[in-house]
Formats: sequence, C-alpha cells, structure tokens
Amino acid sequence: MTAIDYTQEVPVVEGRPTAGQIEEVVLIPMNTKPGKVWKVLITITSLMLLTGTVALGYTFYYGIGMWGNNNPVGWGFDIVNFVFWVGIGHAGTLISAILFLLRQRWRTGIARFAEAMTIFAVMCAGIFPALHTGRFWLDGYLFPYPNQNHLWVNFTSPLLWDVFAVSTYFTVSLIFWYVGLMPDFATLRDRTENKLRKTIYTIFSLGWRHSTRHWQHYEKIYVILAGFATPLVLSVHTIVSFDFAVSVIPGWHTTIFPPYFVAGAVFSGFAMVQNVLIFVRQAFNLKHIITLNHLEKMNQVMIVVGMIVGYAYSMEFFMAWYSGNDFEMFTFINRALGPYAWAYWIMITCNVLSPQFFWFKKLRRSIPFMFIIGVFVNIGMWFERFVIIVTSLSRDFLPASWGMYTPTIHDFGILVFSFGLFFTLILLFVKSLPVVSIAEVKAVVDGAQPLHKGGH
Amino acid sequence: MEEKKIFSIAALFDTPDDITRAVKETTATGYTKYDVNTPYPVHGMEKAMKLKPSLLGFITFVIGVGGATFAILFMSWVTIVDYPLVIGGKPFFSWPAFVPITFEVTVLSASVGTVVAMIALFFKFPHNSHPLHDTNYMRKVSSDKFGINIVAIDPIFNEDKIKEFFKKIGGKEIETIYEEPFPKEIKMFDKRFIGALILVMLITSGVSYLVLNKLLYIQPYSWMSEQDKGLPQTKSEVFSDGFTMRQPVEGTIARDFIPYEYKGMKDSAVINLSNPLPYSKQVLAIGKSRFDTYCSPCHGYFGKGDTRLRDQFPKPPTLHSDKVRNWADGNIYHVITNGQNIMPSYEKQISRDDRWAIVHYIRVLQRSQNAKDSDFEDSKK
Amino acid sequence: MDYQKKELPKKFSTIGWILVLLGVLLVVISYLVNPMRASFNNVIALMFMAGISVGALVLVALEHLSGAVWSTPMRRVSEFLAASIPFVAVLGIPLLFNLHGLFHWTHTDVVKSDAILQGKSPYLNTEFLIIRYVVIFAILILFYFIFTRNSRKQDITKDQNLTKRNVKISAAFMPIAAIGISFLAIDWMMSLEPHWYSTIFGIYYITATLLAGLAATTYAVVSLNEKGYLHSSIGADHYYSFGALLFGITNFWAYIAFSQFLLIWYANIPEETIWFMMRWSGGWKYITIAMIVIRFAIPYFGLLTAQSKTDPKRLKIVAVIILLAHLFDMYWLVMPTYDDTAVFSFYEIGFPVLIIGILILVFSFQAKRHNMIPIGDPKLQRGLDFHL
Repeated sequence: MTAIDYTQEVPVVEGRPTAGQIEEVVLIPMNTKPGKVWKVLITITSLMLLTGTVALGYTFYYGIGMWGNNNPVGWGFDIVNFVFWVGIGHAGTLISAILFLLRQRWRTGIARFAEAMTIFAVMCAGIFPALHTGRFWLDGYLFPYPNQNHLWVNFTSPLLWDVFAVSTYFTVSLIFWYVGLMPDFATLRDRTENKLRKTIYTIFSLGWRHSTRHWQHYEKIYVILAGFATPLVLSVHTIVSFDFAVSVIPGWHTTIFPPYFVAGAVFSGFAMVQNVLIFVRQAFNLKHIITLNHLEKMNQVMIVVGMIVGYAYSMEFFMAWYSGNDFEMFTFINRALGPYAWAYWIMITCNVLSPQFFWFKKLRRSIPFMFIIGVFVNIGMWFERFVIIVTSLSRDFLPASWGMYTPTIHDFGILVFSFGLFFTLILLFVKSLPVVSIAEVKAVVDGAQPLHKGGH
Repeated sequence: MEEKKIFSIAALFDTPDDITRAVKETTATGYTKYDVNTPYPVHGMEKAMKLKPSLLGFITFVIGVGGATFAILFMSWVTIVDYPLVIGGKPFFSWPAFVPITFEVTVLSASVGTVVAMIALFFKFPHNSHPLHDTNYMRKVSSDKFGINIVAIDPIFNEDKIKEFFKKIGGKEIETIYEEPFPKEIKMFDKRFIGALILVMLITSGVSYLVLNKLLYIQPYSWMSEQDKGLPQTKSEVFSDGFTMRQPVEGTIARDFIPYEYKGMKDSAVINLSNPLPYSKQVLAIGKSRFDTYCSPCHGYFGKGDTRLRDQFPKPPTLHSDKVRNWADGNIYHVITNGQNIMPSYEKQISRDDRWAIVHYIRVLQRSQNAKDSDFEDSKK
Repeated sequence: MDYQKKELPKKFSTIGWILVLLGVLLVVISYLVNPMRASFNNVIALMFMAGISVGALVLVALEHLSGAVWSTPMRRVSEFLAASIPFVAVLGIPLLFNLHGLFHWTHTDVVKSDAILQGKSPYLNTEFLIIRYVVIFAILILFYFIFTRNSRKQDITKDQNLTKRNVKISAAFMPIAAIGISFLAIDWMMSLEPHWYSTIFGIYYITATLLAGLAATTYAVVSLNEKGYLHSSIGADHYYSFGALLFGITNFWAYIAFSQFLLIWYANIPEETIWFMMRWSGGWKYITIAMIVIRFAIPYFGLLTAQSKTDPKRLKIVAVIILLAHLFDMYWLVMPTYDDTAVFSFYEIGFPVLIIGILILVFSFQAKRHNMIPIGDPKLQRGLDFHL
C-alpha cells in the first residue's frame, strides 16, 4: 500500500489518455456487436420481465386482491418497493448534483451512469403506487385538472405530494440527463458514418456545435440545475417519509423521518450504483475512467450515510423509551422481539454492521468484498422499509385489530418485474448511449485545462 | 452555378493553452464576430473572449417565482373557494401543507423553463443546418482539437488577412467555411409525406375510437358493471328457490312495526277502535300526503274511485257512498290495515299513526264532496 | 510558501478584556437579582457558545475527513475558535448549582406524582446529567487537543503522516461528536419541557452548530484576510465556497426546522403540539415570525446570487446575522419555558457580551502563539491555488 501524497491531487482519470482515446474507449460498447455476456444477461432480465408480467397481468385482471395486503396491513410490498426504488434513484442525483456543487471531481466518471439509474429507478418506483390505486387506468385523476365532475385533488394529502414530488423528480432528472447528453450526441453525430445513426444523433443533438458562447450558458445551467436538483432530491424522500410521519401510527410518527429517509435513500442508491458500476467497468474496459478510487470514495460515502442511518435507528429507539408513550415503546420492542424480529435484525445487520467493514482500507478497495457489502446494504435497506411499514401496521393501538402480513406470489412477481425492468433498461442503456460523459471526462483529464500560473 | 458565400474562416489548435493565447490575440487584434469551439468547456475562455455573464439565472428566478405564486394561489383557490372541504380538522388555508407542492412546482417550472429558454432563446436550437456542421473543422473540435472561427459578418473581415493572422498565431488546418445554399424545391408536398400524414391520421383516430368506445368497456375496465351480485328480476343461481332475497326467520318483526290485533275481526275492530289522533292541520297534512302516496293511485286524489291505473287493476268503489260515509272510523282503519276483497293490507307500508291520519283525511274528503247549502251560508258569516 | 506572520494589534485583546469584564459584571448582577432568569440565560449562553466553538471543531474534522483543500489555508481560524471549548465547559458550571430552578424534573415531589417523569428518571436525574456533561466536554476537549497538537507539530516537521493521522482521528470524532452534540441539546434544551420529545431535535442542534461555527469562521476569515493577516492568494473562490456553504446549511436548517414543525402540526398530538403552542402564544408569536425571517429569509436572499457569495462585505454582514440568528434561535428554544411572554432586558445581554469577549480573547491569545495559517500542511499550496 503506497502512502498518499497530500500535496498532489489524485488524478480523476488514470494515465493521461488524450481526448480521442477517451472517446474511443467510451464508445466501444456502442460500436461493437453485443457480446455473449450481454446476451446472457439480457435474456435473464427479459425472463424476469416476462415472469413479472404474468403477476402483473393477474393483478391487472383480478385487481389488487391478488396481493397479500389485508386489513391492518393495507400497505405491503407495493409501498415497500416504491420507497426502495425511489431511494435507489437518489444516489444518481446526489452524484450528479450535490457532488457537483461540492466540486468533487471524481463524480464525472460515474455521473452519467448514476443519472440514468435514477431515471430507471424512478420508473420502477412509479409502477407500485400506480398499481395500488386499484384501477390504474384512471390514474390521470391523481393530477389536478379541471374535470366535468368539479372535483379537485386533496392538496393537503401527503400522497398527493408524492405525485408531485415523484413526477417533478422524474422530469428534472430527465432534463438534467438530456442536457448533459447534448454535447455527447454532437460528438457521436460527427463521428458516425452510419446514415440512420447520424439522423438520430442529429435530431437529439439539436445542432450543438461546441461553441464557447453556448458552453458558457451550458455551464451556468448545470450549476442552476444542480442547485435545484439538490433540494429536490432531499424533498422527494422527505415527502415519501411524510406519507408515514404525518400520521399518528406509532413507529411512523417521528420527526426524524425526513433526514433519516434521505440518508437511507442515498445509502441504498450508492450501494446499487457501486454494484452495477463494478460490472460496467469490468465489461467495457473502463477501469481507468471509473477507477478504484471512485469505488473507494463511494464506499466511504456509504459508511457516512450508514452511520447516519444507524444514528436514526438509535435515536428512534431512545426517544421511544424517553417519550414515556406506551404505544411507542411497544412498537419498538415489538420490532426487535416481535413476530417480525427477523426482518429487524436483518436490517440492523446489513445496514449498520456490514458497512463497518469499510473502515479498513483493504476491504474498501477489494472489489469482490465491496460488491457483497453493496448487496447486503440493498437487502438491508429493503428490509428497513419492510420493518417500518409492516411492523407498525400489523400491531398498532388495538390488539383486537392486529393481524399478520404474508405476501403472495403476485407480490413477489411484481418485485421481480421491477428488477427485470430496471436491469433491462440499464443493459439497453449501456449499448445505446455513452455510459460516461465524454465531454465532462475530457475536461478533467490532467492537462485538459490551461495552466493557471502564467495563464492569466 | 452561383458563387458560394463565405460563412467563416476557421483554424485549429492542439492544446487549451494554445487556444487561450490565440483567443486573446484575436480579441486584441479587434475581431468581435468570432466563435471558439472546444470539445469541452475550457476554463477562463469566456474571460478571454470577454463574454458577458450568462443571464440564465435571472430567467430561472422569474419563472421560479412565477411558478411558486401560481401554485400557492391555485391551491388556495381550490381549497378555499372552489372545493372547500374540511380535512383532518385543518383550516381551509393550511399553508404548511401547501409548502411541499409549492416547492415541487417551483422546481419543476424553473428547471424546465430555464432549459427551454436556454435551448430555444439562447442557443436558437434546434439548428441542424448551421454551415459549420459536417465540416472537417466541426469533426475535429467535436473530438479533440480546439478551434476558432471568425465569421464573415465581422466588420474587419478579410479572408486573406485572417488566414495570415491564423498562420502567425500558430493555427493549423485553416479552412474556409461556406454557407449552404438555400434549397430550391420544398419537399412539403411530397406524395410520400402526404401519405404518411394520412396514415398517421387514420391510425390515431382508429385507435382513439377503439380505446374510448370499446376498450374502456370490456373487462376489467368495465366501470364495475359486471359484479358478482344478485340483480332484481333475475333468477338466483345460488338458492334452489331461485330468489336472491331470503325470508327473515319466522316471527321476525321489523323495527317499529306494531302487529294488528284485530286481523280478520272486523266487528271487534269497529266496536273497540276509535281514532286516537286529534283533528289538526298537521295530522291532516300527514294524512293527505300518505293518502296521495298510497291510496290515490286506485281511489283517486278525491276518493272518487277514478283510478289512474287505466284498467290494469279493477276500479275500487267510490268512498263517497252512503255506506262508507256511515262507517265508523274503526271500520275504515280496519279496511286499510286488514285489506278487503281485492285490496291488500297496508299495515306494512303505512305506520299505525299515519293510517289514523289517513282516516281523518278521508273524513275531510267525504265532507268536502257532500257540502250543504248551510255550509255556504256559514262561510259567508 | 511565502508567509510572513503579522501580529494582531493590541487593541484587539483590549476590546476582549473590556467585553469580558462588562459581561462578567452583568452576569453577576443578573445572578444576584434574579437567579432563575439568569440561569435560563446561562443555558442560552452555553448552547450559543457551544454552537460556535464545537461547530468550528467539527469543521476542522470535516476538512480532514473530506480531504477538502480549499479550506486548508483558513483551518487555523476554525482551530482558534475551537480553542474556546474549555471555556464553554466552564460556562456551564454555574448551571450545575441551579438545576432546581431550571428543570421541572429535578423536583422530587413532582416526579413522584407523574408516571411519565418517573419512567424517564433513569435518564433525567441530576447525577447522570452531570456525568454526561463532563464526559461530553472531556471528549470534545480531548479531540481539540489532539487535532491542534498534530496541526502545530506539522508547522515545524511538515510531516505528511500527521495529516493522515488527523484524517483517521476525524473519522472517529464525527460519530462521537454527532452523538455528543445531540445529547447536549436533549439534556439542556429538550428536557426543559420534560414531557415533550422530538427525534429530530439532535439534528436540529447539530445543524445550528455547524452553521454557527461556519458563520464565525467566515466572519473571522474575511475580516482577517481583508487586513492581510492571512494570505494574498485567499480570494473570491474561497469566499464563494464559504458563501455557498452558509447558504446550503441555512437551507438545510430551514428544512429540518420545517420538517419538525410540519410533522407535529399535521399529526396534532397534544403532547407534541404544546411545544409549538407555547411559541405561538403571547408575544412569542412575533418572536417566532421574526426568527423565520432572520434565521432563514435574510441569509437566503442575502446569499442567493453568485456575486453576493464572493462579496466580502456581504459575507461579513450575513455571517453576523447568522450568528445573531443562532443566539436568537437558542433564546427561542429556551425562554418560553421561563415565561409565557417574550422578555428582553439586561439579563439577556450579559452573557452574549461575555461570550464575544471570551472568543476575542481566546482568539488573540492563540493568534499570538501560533501561525495564522497551517504552514506545514501538505494541502496548503493546493488550497491557496484553489480555483472553481
């Protein structure tokens, strides 16, 4: 292990590739025929999609009675999965916006990919509440528009805030992503010989010509969009947490929920980005652009947010006792020792204990090890939502109205569907668009900027 | 063939330091209408070009404030004016609950607005027919070279001088870029284009028709028109007797129902029963309304036996016959409660007190149809 | 590295002494006239000053942990501010003799007849409170000494391993600091209303702490740098980073404060809403509105544009307003327990004057003994060369 030299900046991109080499490397997956691995993977994800479609079809035809939701536990897998997927999305915006504002230049290599994951994850998340409305072909009524029934939506309901938050989040992420892609589309347009491709790239590049007069506004809008996306990403999971916290259900109504949910979202999102990036850099030979340092930084972020999540768990537990409220106390004892204790301890093990291994530099930089921890974190974060939703609902104030929740095969089917959708979209993305922002990476290679000394 | 018009003269440089130096010299020489094309934003370039700071932030601010104002006003209007509902015991104007949506609308409108403004107003995009496209120059700056091009509208534009100038400052691959001639024929009325338009129109209308008129009415979108329930006037599949409704257990009595003790015993009823209600306007009003509802379809509004049922049911006799006039109140009450000949019992439809009110009303009807001259005199007094 | 140390003028410490003497005088008078009110003000003072000095220490640790370079040339300023942590601990000592007047839960007869307070008594009792106080401050002071000792040693040895050691210590420090600061807030402010509870309260105070430490550092850096006590390379880009962070954390504070309010307002559970009802009745209503304006609206609009973040004058004004707002916030958190209506008199002035005096004195004392920029830090040159 070499000692760190603090007087020098760690280069974002390893070696000093020229701009042309970066382009070549990034565009390899787009310009080559799909390999065997890719074909196998897409077969698997398509099969997942197909299996899920059956469950979806049943739900579609017979209604959500096919799910395990019952009377005390009116929210089951649907909301667990929704919160899980929205959370996965948060890492993308965090990387592309917050790290941009904090001038963490290591983000450039992974930002494009993480943003794409945001968009796909929000799409997956959207499935669940849309289905849970029961007759989802009427979901248009979720939006306030003047209708012949003279009805308006309830603006004071956190569920409606969700509609606004998630749709805003999706739209803003999409335009953020597209704005970043515009120069890359222009580069693709000027490189390709294929006529069809050229037409497509021409349309999407809108006529971009790398003009400094444009770059100037472009850099400004990047700051503005990042400035908006940062509070937006906080607001989205905050509003998701409001779905629970504005109620009076013990275990749901607690004021720490907003920051705690945001930290949890970033936690699971980073784990997912890290997991997928490990494959991408391996498969497409991007090891010098998505370096081990980047992965290490992501693992460091994971310890930080993991600790915040741990802080929230302990603070909730402490306050449940401190409050002197019998229902609060019972809820937390029930979580740790009740019928769903297994889920609670999976959550604690995966979320609080497993990232502690990242304190060791060797483990933090070991690819197989970090992959396993990433998977653990995702499992743990899924169970966190399960614990919050199911334990609180299954045993609230009146013992007479207690009940257990058992998911059905259709619940699992739709979960599989969402994973299938997510990974299929990712696989299609890596073959059709540059997975690394070409223009941004060119700008952070050593020697890409004029030297400041003597420059002015 | 007309001569091609020059759009600009371009030169390429290899490193960011070279281009920064070149731009500074270009500005110093006095050229103003030029542009620098770099594969990525080069730091300090806008300073070297002496560009004004971007005004995008201002646009964002205006649109954002507009979006926020709209959201607050709209939600207030809905919850206070157009659709006031008390929700969770909160006031109509629950401002804390408006904050999340106001925030989201602000972010949405400001970001989308700024991006659209940047693309459409600042960049004047889409612009895919710019003369720079598809030149060697463009291909190079798109990849790894740094280019500068001085446009022909520059006041001190001179082709040879600029080329010389570029050579002096170390520019490579100096290139003259020509404007593209305006296309002669417009392809708007191409047969294939028109055909495609018609096809799109047909498909859109066909799909809309099928979705709105057919698809929305088949399972499971049938607006709950098909349900597992017993419908009136249909045979039940569940019960052997074919009825969906079940009879209550023998001896069940409905709430407030008082059994009639003189069933089939007219004489006892006549002797023992007398009208417990007083003659009063309220009682008569109840009596009239119940009579009009239950009795008048057969007996007619004035009890003359002029049925409205148009021979679907035998006509009952008039209530103004001497026989009925001379009946005791108990007798009329007995007939209503017990039924007589073809008339069924009304004890289940009309409550006990209402039946007595009807009796009073019938007496009033009988009196009204049997007026004497003295009544006329009395009314004059 | 061309750094020539420039001594602070004598005038500076004189002002400090005058403020300290004036403050001590006012504090002594207020303790003699109305010990209960004085002790409530003492709590405000404790939490206000802890915010500044512990916040500054957290900033130092954050710099090490995140590997930030832009703040390295200014790190000493934060370290000097953090040097007042021992005095914060001293500031709390008079309180330990007045716990009975402050806390409802110290009255044994009240606790006896209150089942909820009985349940809390394993945590809310005088001995444990004092133990927590001592332990939290002992740990904070210990970390302060470790950080600064390494940093000063580096001025001479220029040893890179010291930076590495500080990074590791910061990693250990952050979770401990987060828990310590949270419990400080729970002990001294939340337990003033022993029935009330809010899980976000610790984070609320952590945010306030960060903001106070950052505002104090910003003010000190900008004023010192304007007069040339730091380094000529520190300029607009460094200022911008301070401005952006102040802006960001102000927004984060608003987010945390609003989340707490919205959740309690919406669920409408009487035992929780009482806390906000106290702050929305009598004169407190106007204090609450004023708080929102000076703690959020003014800094927000003051630092919204990119130009204002680099303007040294603007930064100084906003930093002072944020510090005032921090004091105001502590007042808003503590005083409604003392009185149903907002009160303001010389009692409320004594402690802030004393604290400003202490901070100035500690700062000038530290500045006399140590270099104003960490000349041995390997990240220093990169920090001076920092450009956006």
